[in-house]
Amino acid sequence: MHQDTQGLRWLRATAYNAFAVGLGILAGLLVVVFAGGNIGVALSSLFLNPIRLAGGVQQIFVLFVMFYSMALGIGLALKAGLWNIGAQGQLLAGMVMVFVAYTYMAFLPAPLLYAAMILGAAIGGLLWIAVPTILRVKFGANEIVVTILLNVVAFNFGFYMLSGPIKSPGTALGFPITKVLPSTFQIPNIVGGVPITYAVPATIAIGVILYFLVERTPFRVRANTVGESPETARYAGISIPRVMTITMLTAGALAGLAGATYIMGYRYELDIGSFSSNYGLVAIIVALVGRKHMLGIGIAAFFFAYITIGAQSMAVTVGVPYYVEFAMEGIMMVGILSGAYLTERRRTA
Amino acid sequence: MTVALSDVVTAVLSTTLQLSPFYLFAGMGEIVSEKSGVANLGLEGIMLMSLVTTFIVDYETGDPWVALFAALAMAGIIGAVFAFFAIRVRLDQIALGLAIYLFGLGFSFVVWNIAYPSGLTPGYISLPPIFSDWGSVPIIGTIFLKQDIMAYLSIVLVVLTALFLSRTSLGLRVRAVGENPKAADNMGVNVAKVRFLATLFGAFMFGFAGSYFAGNFVPNFQTDIIAGRGFIVLAMIYFANWKPYPTLFAALSFNLVYALQNEYISIAGSTVASVSTLFNMLPYVFLLALIPVFGRKARAPKFLLKPYRKG
Repeated sequence: MHQDTQGLRWLRATAYNAFAVGLGILAGLLVVVFAGGNIGVALSSLFLNPIRLAGGVQQIFVLFVMFYSMALGIGLALKAGLWNIGAQGQLLAGMVMVFVAYTYMAFLPAPLLYAAMILGAAIGGLLWIAVPTILRVKFGANEIVVTILLNVVAFNFGFYMLSGPIKSPGTALGFPITKVLPSTFQIPNIVGGVPITYAVPATIAIGVILYFLVERTPFRVRANTVGESPETARYAGISIPRVMTITMLTAGALAGLAGATYIMGYRYELDIGSFSSNYGLVAIIVALVGRKHMLGIGIAAFFFAYITIGAQSMAVTVGVPYYVEFAMEGIMMVGILSGAYLTERRRTA
Repeated sequence: MTVALSDVVTAVLSTTLQLSPFYLFAGMGEIVSEKSGVANLGLEGIMLMSLVTTFIVDYETGDPWVALFAALAMAGIIGAVFAFFAIRVRLDQIALGLAIYLFGLGFSFVVWNIAYPSGLTPGYISLPPIFSDWGSVPIIGTIFLKQDIMAYLSIVLVVLTALFLSRTSLGLRVRAVGENPKAADNMGVNVAKVRFLATLFGAFMFGFAGSYFAGNFVPNFQTDIIAGRGFIVLAMIYFANWKPYPTLFAALSFNLVYALQNEYISIAGSTVASVSTLFNMLPYVFLLALIPVFGRKARAPKFLLKPYRKG
């Protein structure tokens, strides 16, 4: 079979992805039909509400930042052949640590405390991933199993922290919720009135820096070798534990930072509702759709942020549960993976 | 306040045993699936779908047996889709499994909400206990005899799975396609077919697990009601080195820790209310602590997660 040109291959991959996304949307629309909703209204709210409604654009960028940050780490670890299924747990650890810093380091002057909260979130995510990293590097324990286990632990740990150490003392009946961060500790908008915070350019900058560090240096070869053939890596004198540790810890810190951007740039408080978001799992799709490429992941993150907000808005408008977004994203993921497989097969055929 | 020791023992043991069948069904299903080289990370999604199917069909027909079969059919359908994409299309099993999980997580709630928008449901009719007449016998009567047939079935399943993998020729083929599909293929084993059967068997077991969960734990469906317990099974079989009896041990000891902390919280009451969620972490931390001990010995099937292409 003749080989496709670069452009044709790109076009084909895009067509497959569009088809996959279409399938997911179709499934969402079927749900709407069964629930007795109006298809036209559903479609227009899915595609237009994110930019039409007040707050839509803000939410897109909040999710974009979270997805991009988490997926960068997941993609990085994947390059070294490691599956970080635990971004959800690291995200929670980051969110919790923002308030741990805020509550217990209140003696610091405001600018220092501000920095401590962001740094704390990164450290929280890093500590949360340190467990699977150590178990993997020192004991050869499977990181998939451990990161999944720690997601469940994170949920319980976060709930404990919410009901005691970081709980707002003022709430009635011991309702588990934190204080609201005062405006001094909120990430400000770049331009007043436009609800896009400094977290957006900061995350893009991290993505670009990682792109140069990872895609344009020998590190890429080293990580890929560890990921694809540990034996070769050993022969080539590459330190496997070092590559694993660097990629995993970076992934944890990035997921923790995602937690800081959500709390300090959008929610300003933490309650149990933020715990069951499952965005850490969606970020795995984002990393795969972005083909583990540090810039490609950014595009995928924006797309999934848009679709997620659109699906949530559609759910509210036509009266189906917002959980429909997960069903749609699951179907899209199967389609996108199949598309990637077909593209790959054509190239190697 | 004094608490009678026999009451505590009864409560702890009965909680331990009540939870175990869920993990045993799921564990045996995942073992057989993974032994053939296919890890199904979508297990919790399949469970959620069977769980919601059990509730809805039970409410609508009033027959728990019909509900069980409907749940199994649901698990079989999703399992077949998973198997097709994992084995035939050779997609990445982890990514595919997570996709199935997300689908089940979202779709189970959507289905539930469309079926009962108001949240009001008819009463749930459970499977009958096997030895209901003996329910008045002290301790034993409350611990063992109130269980329905699923609990007994789960124990039998452990024995059968162990025998199946070690003693039968199909069991040997399952292990062969997970350890060395190339060699198995050369010996005339249809790798894709064996993997498909093993994966489908796994899915049916997740169906049992989901259905058992519906009948024995929760009076009603809620979003994300299994809350990661399905994923815990992956850790259990990992410690058990993909062996049925050690998995039984892992499930029982995990549940014992769970039951102990649960009982402690309920006895200690308000004095520990603020740290009760910290105690809830114990069973998971217990599993984590076992990793450096048992994780060293664990050896996954060699071709786990690796698709096989004939020729």
